[in-house]
Amino acid sequence: MLGKLLKHELQATSRTMLPLFGLLLLVSALTNLAMRGLNGSRELPPIVSVICVILLILFMVGVMTVGIVTLWMMVQRFRRNLLRDEGYIMHTLPVSIHAQIWAKVIVSGLWYALSAAALVLSVLLMAADVEFVRDMGKIFGELFHAVMGNVRNVEILLELLGVMVLAGIFLSLMLYASLAVGHAFSKRKMGLSECIFVAFIVLFNVLTSVSSELLRTLDIFPIAQDTFIIGAWRAAMGLAAGHLVVYAAILYAVTAWFMKHRLNLD
Amino acid sequence: MAILESKGLSKSFGSKKALDGVDLKVEPGRIVGLLGPNGSGKTTLIKLANGLLVPSAGQILVNGLAPGVETKKIVSFLPERSCVPDWMSAGQLAGFYADFYGDFDRQAAENMMARLEIDTKAKIRHLSKGTREKLQLIMVMSRRAKLYLLDEPIGGVDPAARDYILDTIISNYNPTASVVISTHLISDVEKVLDDVIFINNGHIVLSAPADELREQQGKSVDQIFREVFKC
Repeated sequence: MLGKLLKHELQATSRTMLPLFGLLLLVSALTNLAMRGLNGSRELPPIVSVICVILLILFMVGVMTVGIVTLWMMVQRFRRNLLRDEGYIMHTLPVSIHAQIWAKVIVSGLWYALSAAALVLSVLLMAADVEFVRDMGKIFGELFHAVMGNVRNVEILLELLGVMVLAGIFLSLMLYASLAVGHAFSKRKMGLSECIFVAFIVLFNVLTSVSSELLRTLDIFPIAQDTFIIGAWRAAMGLAAGHLVVYAAILYAVTAWFMKHRLNLD
Repeated sequence: MAILESKGLSKSFGSKKALDGVDLKVEPGRIVGLLGPNGSGKTTLIKLANGLLVPSAGQILVNGLAPGVETKKIVSFLPERSCVPDWMSAGQLAGFYADFYGDFDRQAAENMMARLEIDTKAKIRHLSKGTREKLQLIMVMSRRAKLYLLDEPIGGVDPAARDYILDTIISNYNPTASVVISTHLISDVEKVLDDVIFINNGHIVLSAPADELREQQGKSVDQIFREVFKC
């Protein structure tokens, strides 16, 4: 049944996300043309220069919009589909509450990843053959090697991606848990959900500070001097992953409990 | 075995008791009217049977099981208002029901949509409120379920639509199944009911076969309801 939930969740969300990605890539291609124009000639007519600048601004707005819409979509889908009227249909399907939550987590994770891929692609498209963006890429690459030494880029990238996936799941579950708790009340459901979201942030910050201090005192992650930077990187990634897994498990339990025992679809 | 049974069922919302020690049994193959004024506890009872609420005390059983994944396979539920995802087309909605319910008769749904001239490609958000409600009823009644729980199926619709809805219920439900119709519009549903349950302030105040009640009291169920719930 999880597969069927995923299929319908993807259908529901792709109506918004795919056109958005298409629009972003179109703006990126146009921005690329504009930047070539700005880069290649100093004698552009004023109106063309203005259009080029507008396109550049549109590109930046587009990048931000993709991030915001992905987050907004995730919140709205969970709320509308499971906690408001559509919930009468969804909660009477012969599927467990766990399948319902996982379907939302997996699909939102997928859209995070696709949004990130669309953003990278749009930057590459925008920067294709544009000299100064290429130069900036080179500088960042050299800086990376200088800092990280002979560690392969792909390892670092995979570690970072793993933590980013966990962070995405954690963020989704923090929003879902806040909504599930907030919507258990009869009034001011969204306001309460927002308050609970802030409370979760405070709680996890405190827990992270306490546990990090404890781990530092216990010296669980000894870092050798000769590989200090990569050692510190690995310790940071390990710590982040550990914290995220524990917090995500807590948030999942809160979400599932409230949806099972305190569902309030008024 | 009763298809729907509650034992000492209670549900409170804060200090307010919506249901208080309700005992009832619905036998297979019966059409039951769950009748009571607004706020009497009808919707709460139906939500509990669907697993949308958890009892504060007592228990509710569907085919001998507490509400869960297994009972949802055999219960077809019509909420009191249209809740179908409005971004879907009518055809997509039929596909959605067919995906999740093994007992969904897609052909029956398409026939009913054709009779109502509902374009299967039309987005639900573009349909009128009345058509959306009928579409949802079509989906619910196209299932070959063991228990149909219909919450106010004729509330807020015109008399012609009421006739259509009742006809759809009677001509489509599986005769070995039970139908529970929650309503306060007694005169419209009286003719189709086998049994009636009167509920008020979270208590069952009367439960009897409709014919027996009419014979004993020499009045229609609607008249008895008006006397019992006189303000």
